[in-house]
Amino acid sequence: MTAVEPRFDQVVHAPPRLQVCGLLAAVDTMEFAAVRDAVGVSDSVLSKHVKQLEDAGYVRVRKATIASRVRTSLSLTAEGRTAFGAHVAELKRITGG
Amino acid sequence: MSADRERAAADLAALDRDRAALAEKVLQPWWFDAALGLLLFGFLAVQAVDADWVTAPALLVFAGGLALLVRVYRARSGVWVHTPARVMAGWGALVLVVLVPAYLLSSQGHRWAMVVAGAVLGLAVALLSRHWGRAWQRELREGV
Repeated sequence: MTAVEPRFDQVVHAPPRLQVCGLLAAVDTMEFAAVRDAVGVSDSVLSKHVKQLEDAGYVRVRKATIASRVRTSLSLTAEGRTAFGAHVAELKRITGG
Repeated sequence: MSADRERAAADLAALDRDRAALAEKVLQPWWFDAALGLLLFGFLAVQAVDADWVTAPALLVFAGGLALLVRVYRARSGVWVHTPARVMAGWGALVLVVLVPAYLLSSQGHRWAMVVAGAVLGLAVALLSRHWGRAWQRELREGV
């Protein structure tokens, strides 16, 4: 496994965004509703944070119509995975872990 | 412990908790693996008939069944992961080891070979699907 260079990331760091990135890093895609339920915030709060992650190029948002319902799924981009991995490495460095 | 260190430790613990909670949702129900195995068995076993009016509908049922399983899994768990390339390579190798002899036997008139191949690969995919699901669950529980 390649060692990740620790780097504090201000975009990832904020509490709900760190949680969102942590969940998305564990999967390929996750439904918006599943992320919302796991993080425990409202749709509007999650949307705001997802937009910030999207603007940073860390998260990709996809919408699909299934059985006449629009489903939104989220995924981390390669850049987002790198940033999250580096941020986690920095947290581990700080804790000495 | 400094405030930064405490905060970092709390963040890491929260990430681990989220992954542990996710691990409880990602394992597919037992019937998913059984249905996957039956679909593959059915598709391969009907090749023994060697008639287009059977194999074409069988392909449609197989593809439709797979699509339905994926949809049900995504709706239940809210997540999706693609099978890692090394896992798919191993599965592809197993398929070749079983299917090539079965096809050769079948082409020499021993059509039952495709039924046996279907049973072997159907059982294998059901067991491996369970194994892969549990392995992913363990990986999530190990934390970030």
